Amino acid sequence: MKARLLAIAVAVLVFVPAAFSAVDAGGSMHAAKKANAGTTIVVYASGDVNVQNLWQNNIIPQFEKANKGIYVKFVFSEHGTQDGTTLARIGAAVKGRHWPGIDLVDGGLVTTMASAGLNQPVKKATAPNLKKVNPDLLVPVKGNAIPYRGSSVVLAYNTDHVKSPPKTLQGLLDWIKANPGKFTYNSPNSGGSGYSFAETVVDSFLSKSVNTQMVNDYVPNLESNWKQGFDTLHGLNKYVYQGVYPNGNAAVLTLLGQGQIWVAPVWSDQALTALKNGQLGPNIKLSQISSPSFTGGAAYLAVPKTAKHKKVLYKFVNYVLSPKAQQMIVDVMAGFPAIDVKYMGDAIKQKFQDVDANILRQTYNTKMQNDFKAQWQQTVP
Amino acid sequence: MVLPPVAVVAVFIGFPVGAAIAYTLGKTGGPNSTVSLLAQRQHVAHHGVTTAAYREVLGNSHVRADLWATVWVTLVTIAVVVLLSWAIGLYLRLSDTRISRIVSALSVIPLFIPVVIASYAILTFYASQGFIKTLAYHLGWHSFPTLGYTLWAVVIGEIWVNVPFGVLMMSSGLNSVPNALIEAARDSGASLPRTVRSVLLPMNVIPTVIVATFTGIYVLGSFTVPYLTGPSAPNLMGVSMANFFSAFNQPQQAEVMAMIVFVLAIGIGTIYIWANVRAAKRASSTT
Repeated sequence: MKARLLAIAVAVLVFVPAAFSAVDAGGSMHAAKKANAGTTIVVYASGDVNVQNLWQNNIIPQFEKANKGIYVKFVFSEHGTQDGTTLARIGAAVKGRHWPGIDLVDGGLVTTMASAGLNQPVKKATAPNLKKVNPDLLVPVKGNAIPYRGSSVVLAYNTDHVKSPPKTLQGLLDWIKANPGKFTYNSPNSGGSGYSFAETVVDSFLSKSVNTQMVNDYVPNLESNWKQGFDTLHGLNKYVYQGVYPNGNAAVLTLLGQGQIWVAPVWSDQALTALKNGQLGPNIKLSQISSPSFTGGAAYLAVPKTAKHKKVLYKFVNYVLSPKAQQMIVDVMAGFPAIDVKYMGDAIKQKFQDVDANILRQTYNTKMQNDFKAQWQQTVP
Repeated sequence: MVLPPVAVVAVFIGFPVGAAIAYTLGKTGGPNSTVSLLAQRQHVAHHGVTTAAYREVLGNSHVRADLWATVWVTLVTIAVVVLLSWAIGLYLRLSDTRISRIVSALSVIPLFIPVVIASYAILTFYASQGFIKTLAYHLGWHSFPTLGYTLWAVVIGEIWVNVPFGVLMMSSGLNSVPNALIEAARDSGASLPRTVRSVLLPMNVIPTVIVATFTGIYVLGSFTVPYLTGPSAPNLMGVSMANFFSAFNQPQQAEVMAMIVFVLAIGIGTIYIWANVRAAKRASSTT
């Protein structure tokens, strides 16, 4: 009797979550049923709700409308909480040469997959629009991931208290010291905007060639060059807000919105969205610093080596890189287009002639970034 | 008949734990081959085992600082939760008024509020422009400390999360003490404090041990409260582990830290089992 109960319990434990995840993955049972008629590709994305909105309400429905018979299943992991398990799942599937259940990946794990050699190389892709993408963006991922949008970190400042924002990194550091408690950045391990500030300070002490190597490769023996930059960051402890580095990009936006801090590095797309929906008031303005500028970079898509329906999949990728879909990225999430702006409409050309994803200052290689975050945690706070 | 549950536990808990222990000792093959394919800065044992990962983690002064922070936050939280839940439990046991019923309802409210929301609320409440500081300022205390983003905010958060369980355990434990015993003590001239010390306290040891041990184990492994309300460094081991595991891509070091927390939790678990065995022995010797 007990054994039978146990069998039932196990069956319930296995099948109920499976059924739910099928519902999740399909968006609806309806989508799953439709899928039998044509080809279905599975897209996994992680990030904030702006990423979810871009895929789920814009790119995917528009693509399905334009391509009858192709269905896109969308799996979303908020804040990348499933990234670790998804990465392990794809890693195991590619090693065992079977389908991982996911055909296209968008999220932080993509660059890790690229360096671990789990991705289909981009040169094998059959997407004509890839030619419109700047080839420099392929270098940091060794040609193993497809850049599809860009975003950059900018300086946000409160115009009630800051009339003329700092124009250079040195100017910003001087401002921080002159206005104790009115600046902070999120801990680099918890979000890209704080990471960018920390890397920018460290980069200002690096030679051009060392910096380029760190962008393109994992070179742990060059990490000793970071010391001077980390010392400078450590020296800021007594000037940042409460001597604390909050966790997450959003926490900094909150402090900025509440007026507790006056200046902070923020993601351009996140800040523009926050300005639009009122989380940040009209007294917050954005600007960029120079020598060096904050880093930015592309977000990448990955095709696992063992993905199914590659031909159809690249049709989808081609659509993502089309001027039409790139326009959605600009409109919906205030991102930067990944393709050269000369292919876009006139309004976009004007808006992005100074800052497009092609000339954004690149961040380090992913493994370099991981070591950077670890060393920041040990030396700065 | 006992075999199937044992098998389930062995497969779903025992095996992953075994694989994790092997990984911390430098075994990167077999079930650990996928994680070791992606990890950075790992220590690999080509023959036998290596304790290099343990030496690296324990030799890191920042990890040690996190460990001490975890230990003292845990101890302070246990002490306050036990005292607070005893006090509330006792009040509910000895007084049956409208106020005591309101207190009893209020004390379990944290159970129904998600920890993330509670953490943000605590952070805002104790922030530099928060309610508490503003109140203190208006009362003339201008140098009131800002508790947001400190380990004290973590302590407050952990207490907030753990008190409802403590109150439920303590009040049910105290309610099971027969009224007759309390009345007998009072009739023979014992004062209220004396009754509490000689009757209620000895009869409520097991619930107290349960509250203390469960609170301790909860705080040792907690993540959300310290992540959202705590300082950048040092912070609790849960936050550190998550950093090493995902942000620094050093899962081996993260698992070593998990082993350290595991050992601490075993220490607490031993106290719990010892108390239960003692109580069982006593029960069998008196009947």
